[in-house]
Amino acid sequence: MTYTYKLLGNHTDPSLVGKPIEYILRKEDGAWIPKTTANTDYQEYLEWVAAGNTAEAAD
Amino acid sequence: MSSQLKVNSISDAAGANGNAITLATDGTCTAKITNNLSNRNLIINGACAVAQYASSSTSAGYKTVDRYKAEGSNTGQTATQSQESLSSSDTGPWEKGFRKYYRLALAATGTANVNAWASMQQRVEAQNIACSGWDYTSASSNITLSFWFRASTNQTFYSYIYAYDGTPKAYTFSFTASGNNTWTKVTKTIPGNSGITVDNDNGAGLQISLIAFAGTNYTNNRTLNTWAAHDGNNYAPDMATTWITTGTPTFDLTGVQLEVGDHATEFEMRSYGDELRRCQRYCYIPTYDSSYGPYAFSYHSSYKAAQEFFPVPMRAIPTPTVTATSGSFTTNYTGASHWKGYIEATGTDIRLIASAKFEAEL
Repeated sequence: MTYTYKLLGNHTDPSLVGKPIEYILRKEDGAWIPKTTANTDYQEYLEWVAAGNTAEAAD
Repeated sequence: MSSQLKVNSISDAAGANGNAITLATDGTCTAKITNNLSNRNLIINGACAVAQYASSSTSAGYKTVDRYKAEGSNTGQTATQSQESLSSSDTGPWEKGFRKYYRLALAATGTANVNAWASMQQRVEAQNIACSGWDYTSASSNITLSFWFRASTNQTFYSYIYAYDGTPKAYTFSFTASGNNTWTKVTKTIPGNSGITVDNDNGAGLQISLIAFAGTNYTNNRTLNTWAAHDGNNYAPDMATTWITTGTPTFDLTGVQLEVGDHATEFEMRSYGDELRRCQRYCYIPTYDSSYGPYAFSYHSSYKAAQEFFPVPMRAIPTPTVTATSGSFTTNYTGASHWKGYIEATGTDIRLIASAKFEAEL
C-alpha cells in the first residue's frame, strides 16, 4: 500500500489551542506519526516527501 | 579411590569437526553445547507465537506475526501474510514444540515479473547485535542462523543478511527444502567482516530476509556466502520461477534463531508472556472486550482526555492509532511510555477508547 499524508495544523483543545500538533496524519489508516527521526513511519514520510510528494494541507 | 583424566581437548571419533571441549591451562574449558541453553536467540518471536496485529492481512509490512515484516508486490496475485497453526502432521517442527508459523501466500499462481518481490524479514535492533558478543568485524567470529521452512514448490531460495550502519553491507546465501511442502531445518553460519558497522543504538542493526521470489530487477549475479556492498539491484543470483509459477504458492517459516557462535543450538523456547513483552517494545495493541477500553474523563466543559500506558518502554516514540466509540481523538502527547489525547465531548457524553495501536517497529 502506498500511503498519503495530511498536515494537522493547530490544537483546538483550550489548554493547547493555537499550538501546533507535532504529528503527521497518515490518511489511509488514521495513524498519527510523531515528528521524530527515530520513528520509522516518520522516516518513510520523509522519504515520501523527498520523492517529490506533498502532504495535504491542514484544515 | 579417585581417578583423573588429563587431556587438552575432546572431539568426536572422526575428529573432523573441531573440538567439542577444549581445555585451557587455567583449568577452564570451552564447550560446544547444543541443548538447554537460554538467552541466546537474538530473534524475537522466533516461534511465531505472538500475533498482536491480526491473524491474516493482505497488506505488506508489519501486519500479523509480531516482529515479522512481509513484502509482496508485482507478483500478479494478491499476497497474504498470516499466522497459521501447526498440527501433529507437521513432522519436524511439531515434535520440537512449535505450534505456530508465519506464512506468505499468493492467492493463485503468480507471475514472475521483472519487478516481482515476495519476502519475509525480521530486523534486529542494533544495540542487541552490538552487545551480543559477536565480534562482527572479525572473519573468525561467527553468528549462526537456523530456521524451519516449507515451500509449496521447492527450488533454490535466498536469504539476504543486511547490516544497516556505516556503509551497508550484505551477505546472501541459498537454501532449499528436501521436497515440496516438506518442513526443512536450515542452518547457516555467517562470519564477521571488517567492513561491518553496528551502532550501539535503537535503530535497525541487522535484517534477516528470506526471499521467496525476486524478479530480475532485483537479482543478477551476486556472489554467495560473502559480505559485499548492499546492492538493491542485485540481492541474489537470478532466481528460478518454479515457486511463483506453480500452483498456489506458499512460503512458511518458524523456529527462527540467530545466535553468536559457529554452530546452531537447540531452539530457545520462551514462554508466550516473555515473548509478548519483548514484542511490545516494538508494538503494543491492548485487547479490549465489548465494553471498549479506558474512559476519556472530562477536564473541560467541551473536552475529555484519555491516556494509555505501555507495558514496557517502547523502542522509540511510537506511532499511535487510537479510535473512539464516537468522534475522534486528537493526540497531544506520545512518549516511549505513554500516550494521551483529547476528544470533543460535552456534559455527560461518554467517550471511550475503542481501539488502540502503538507502533515503534524497525
